[in-house]
Amino acid sequence: MTVRDPTPVPEHPSLEEVYEATPFSEAFWTYVNYIILNIFGWFRDFLRRTRIENRKGSAEYNPSGFVPLYQSYESFYTRNVYQRIADCFNRPIGGVPGGKLDLMERVTEDYNWSFNFTGNKITTINLGSYNYLGFANNNGPIADNVIESIKENGLATASSTQEFGNLKQHRKLESLVAQFLGTEDAIAFGMGFATNALNISSLCGKGCLILSDELNHTSLVLGARLSGAVIKVYKHNDMKHLERLLRDSIVSGQPRTHRPWQKILIIVEGVYSMEGSLCKLPELIELKKKYRAYLYLDEAHSIGAMGSRGRGVVDYWKCDVNDVDVLMGTFTKSFAAAGGYIAGKKELIDHIRINSHACAYAISMSPPVVEQIISVLNLLIDDDETREGRKRINQLAWNTRYFRQRLSKMGFIVYGHPHSPVVPALLYSPSKIAAFNREMLKRGVSVVTVGFPATPLVLGRVRFCLSASHTKEMLDDVLKYAEEVGDLLNMRQSKLNPKKPFHETELIAH
Amino acid sequence: MNVGIAQGERNPNSSWLNSRGVWLTYIILVFVLHFILLSIPYITTSVAWTLTTTIHNLCNYYLFHVVKGAPWETSDQGRARRFTFWEQIDDGIQWTGTRKFLQIVPVVLFFIASFYTKYDKTHFLINLATMLLAVVPKFPIFFGVRLLDINRY
Repeated sequence: MTVRDPTPVPEHPSLEEVYEATPFSEAFWTYVNYIILNIFGWFRDFLRRTRIENRKGSAEYNPSGFVPLYQSYESFYTRNVYQRIADCFNRPIGGVPGGKLDLMERVTEDYNWSFNFTGNKITTINLGSYNYLGFANNNGPIADNVIESIKENGLATASSTQEFGNLKQHRKLESLVAQFLGTEDAIAFGMGFATNALNISSLCGKGCLILSDELNHTSLVLGARLSGAVIKVYKHNDMKHLERLLRDSIVSGQPRTHRPWQKILIIVEGVYSMEGSLCKLPELIELKKKYRAYLYLDEAHSIGAMGSRGRGVVDYWKCDVNDVDVLMGTFTKSFAAAGGYIAGKKELIDHIRINSHACAYAISMSPPVVEQIISVLNLLIDDDETREGRKRINQLAWNTRYFRQRLSKMGFIVYGHPHSPVVPALLYSPSKIAAFNREMLKRGVSVVTVGFPATPLVLGRVRFCLSASHTKEMLDDVLKYAEEVGDLLNMRQSKLNPKKPFHETELIAH
Repeated sequence: MNVGIAQGERNPNSSWLNSRGVWLTYIILVFVLHFILLSIPYITTSVAWTLTTTIHNLCNYYLFHVVKGAPWETSDQGRARRFTFWEQIDDGIQWTGTRKFLQIVPVVLFFIASFYTKYDKTHFLINLATMLLAVVPKFPIFFGVRLLDINRY
């Protein structure tokens, strides 16, 4: 792994996030696109119902006299829109998803209802994996450590944390995480989604108020709903709306009884993976101190990836770690492992150790996974600039700035914060989503394209996930291909950055 | 629960009519329909306008008040399955901008059609009937009402 620029990139936290307005022509043609898909969908459903056409999806055998279990209208979108472009999603891979990825080539004879493997493997540049620091390898010193750990500690603890599942390794991991983040203590769980879903209810309950961002991940939404607290949603990153909600809620108190709230918890994410935006941490901390609320920061995508030392958004914004009450994160993205953690004051972690559903019922983290995280953390904690950990962090930061600058200068409409490693470029319509995906695959790049209902209706996008294992040459290739495909699909319509060809978009000092 | 989605929006049907450019697209498409009808040689202007309003109102009635549920799996655990599309807009809040817009369009089309058909009796009756079909089910008093148990389940 070569580093292009060994000197660390100067970090100025920046507040500029630009979300260019959708051009009306794009929106119009996207609606026409959906209308045509709908018309054909109704037509084909009619043919299927009257058995003129074979029903290829699974259909419910509905005996007479019984109420149907499923409404076939619910899967209208899946049958008629998703299935047409299903070869762009869920592609089987033939190797480790590092900087380059091997895809198993597959063909379909009946329009994506079923696939057959041809036996070939396509090597592609991988821009679809959350491999921010490039640790996704299955050989190397870390993998050797992991294999050693399997021989010593076995594959699973087969017990919950409160019973026999807490090994010395887990305590070592937790103290390393606390040291990495700069908090007093930490606790680790086997699954990142479950960390959110199961632990928010040990923090909040009935009589509490949760203020959550519009674009929070499903795990946070589920955790908030499971806790039984009152949930109010504020517009994404809109601090004025949040303040208004805080003031109104504190003044009016709990619903019906108007008693004061037991606790107010503001839930935000560090980096929002669909938009590529960052939370506005300094303003949030100021608000939380003013109104005496608590802050829960989910750093799933930002731990390891943001900040000059890789310690997440708190490091990026240069805030005090003690100001954030609950720091949560996952090991899935930057650490190439699985699981999640919660870090904070010792009292908080002790409380969670006793009261968390995950500690009582869920199996603790598997030992080889713990070993992987410990090895990665040992690399990242090391502050020495010439060592592996810092080199990777700097490489990722350089890649991010380089790629984002060139992409937006070429005229693509790009959302998100200029320093976030998740780069969404807008495509708008479902047909373009499929076309971009397939064209890039033909040129040897695998990307993730998302549309409705994961994004708003008109805002289909391609989401590039950058990694420290991408070299400048790889990124240049991707940019050149993106330029070709962007011209084919007429994507480069930014008015803020009118489109320029690739060779004119040389990088000026960050 | 659709865990693939990043957001927590329960039913996208409630908000997509507020997206950028939908209202203008709607009006443009009605006029596109009208121009297609005008280009058929044996149809006079008045017949074309009546046909436009009739087709628009019938499609409006069917898509907003007959079809129930959403064409994708929602994460609201089936709460919207009994509701028609009109009732799902903006999660049931009445008199929002979108609802007002959708109620005005059939009325405006009725006025335009009456003008172009020179207030002829048969055309008037047809246009009035379809306009009522499109506008009356949108009244707040009819929210959740299923007359004679038609389309109840």
